[in-house]
Amino acid sequence: MKVYVDRNMCEGNGRCVDAAAEVFEVRDDDRAYVRMENPPEALREKIKLAIRMCPRQAISLED
Amino acid sequence: MNAESLSLDTIDIISQDHYVKSGYPHREWAYLRKHAPVFWYDRPNVRPFWAVTKHADLIAISRQPKQFINAPRLLITTTDLEIVGGEMLFRHLLNMDPPEHGRYRDLVNRRFTPRAVRQLEGEVAEITSELIRNLYQRSRDGVVECDFVTDVAAKVPVDVIAAQMGVPKQDRHQIFTWTNEIIGSSDPEFQTGGSAQETLQLAREGMFKYFADLVEDRKKNPKDDLTSVLAQSRMNSEPLPLFEMMSYFLLLIVAGNETTRNATSGGLLALIDNPAEAEKLKRNPELLRSAIEEIVRWVSPVIQFARTATEDTEIRGQKIKAGDTLALFYPSANRDEEVFEEPFKFNISREPNPHVAFGIGEHFCLGANLARLELEVIVRELLKCVDYAELCGPVERLRSSFVGGIKHMPVRLKLSPPA
Repeated sequence: MKVYVDRNMCEGNGRCVDAAAEVFEVRDDDRAYVRMENPPEALREKIKLAIRMCPRQAISLED
Repeated sequence: MNAESLSLDTIDIISQDHYVKSGYPHREWAYLRKHAPVFWYDRPNVRPFWAVTKHADLIAISRQPKQFINAPRLLITTTDLEIVGGEMLFRHLLNMDPPEHGRYRDLVNRRFTPRAVRQLEGEVAEITSELIRNLYQRSRDGVVECDFVTDVAAKVPVDVIAAQMGVPKQDRHQIFTWTNEIIGSSDPEFQTGGSAQETLQLAREGMFKYFADLVEDRKKNPKDDLTSVLAQSRMNSEPLPLFEMMSYFLLLIVAGNETTRNATSGGLLALIDNPAEAEKLKRNPELLRSAIEEIVRWVSPVIQFARTATEDTEIRGQKIKAGDTLALFYPSANRDEEVFEEPFKFNISREPNPHVAFGIGEHFCLGANLARLELEVIVRELLKCVDYAELCGPVERLRSSFVGGIKHMPVRLKLSPPA
């Protein structure tokens, strides 16, 4: 699966990091980045939590 | 709570008097969630709209800011208080839609990240502890009676946002007054002109003139404040249009002021009404963050915002037509039985707490992190200094179906001597 952060929507709230620190990080530009190209299936639930928790709904998942 | 049974024909979730007399219509919202979660509200006193009361629907609609837009109608009011041409009183983030909305938001959003806001912690703590020291000075053996709203809750957010804007200390009381007149224009206590409309217009004009002058100063002498940022911002290679720039100031000042004040007062009230939770928080300070989230869910200061459908669609079998208004009721979503376990229990350890008091998606509250910081600091300082707190008079609510406001809250506090 591929995970995307919409750069127009992300405002660096970091809830994604709370939900799935393996997959997301907020960098010095106050924007979240995806840390891995193809996260393993085992992280799917955490990624779905990050998607729900993002206040700006900036994250999406593609199988 | 009266024992009258509710019916879809007569249910009232919108008249301002209902809110001032009985607080939030939780009973009515619960009824709608159960019997008519997407309900066409058509009464003589209001332009009809779909009442959206479920958490899932509020989120689904909020996630589609192009299909459900803000500009045509910002919020629902009864027709007697509806401001004709209201959308032309201001043009800012609340009544803008993508892509313009994002372009305006990008001008200041870096100032409201968790990281940026954390830098204000010391300042917020100093403002708060000074307020508590002043109260102690008025006390006898630490016991003092005060209006918690005017003496504490109202003062912190206005000071903090005014400082962020670059408004000097001597002007902050005027800002505070204008805010009350804008948000509380339908409440007789704040009406200056003859009517709600006049009150709002006068306050708006006052604020616009004030900030126009401040902007002129910051163009010549830029400082590290939000006024300077907006004074120097460019949109399409031009400075911001004056109307939109003034509207932006109004938004930042008013939104940052009123709601946090209400969450603070409502939060203290919740702790007074739930002494076991207050004790739990005192004994477990690591629960502060989750307590603040629960206070925000519980109080839900913003009652509603409206959206207008841009195309025909269907929600829970209800046929929504292009042009129909939908009203999103945030406090209702925050008590949704399908989402929150025991939603009518104030539980400072509630986890998870997926409340939508700050909204979600495109228009998610820009000031959410700042509001959280202010609440954390205020509650933390109160827990340190207040041995007990009790109401010593009636809570007076704002006459509004937009923001759940507490105007006055007489409390008796027992304070420990300041360190």
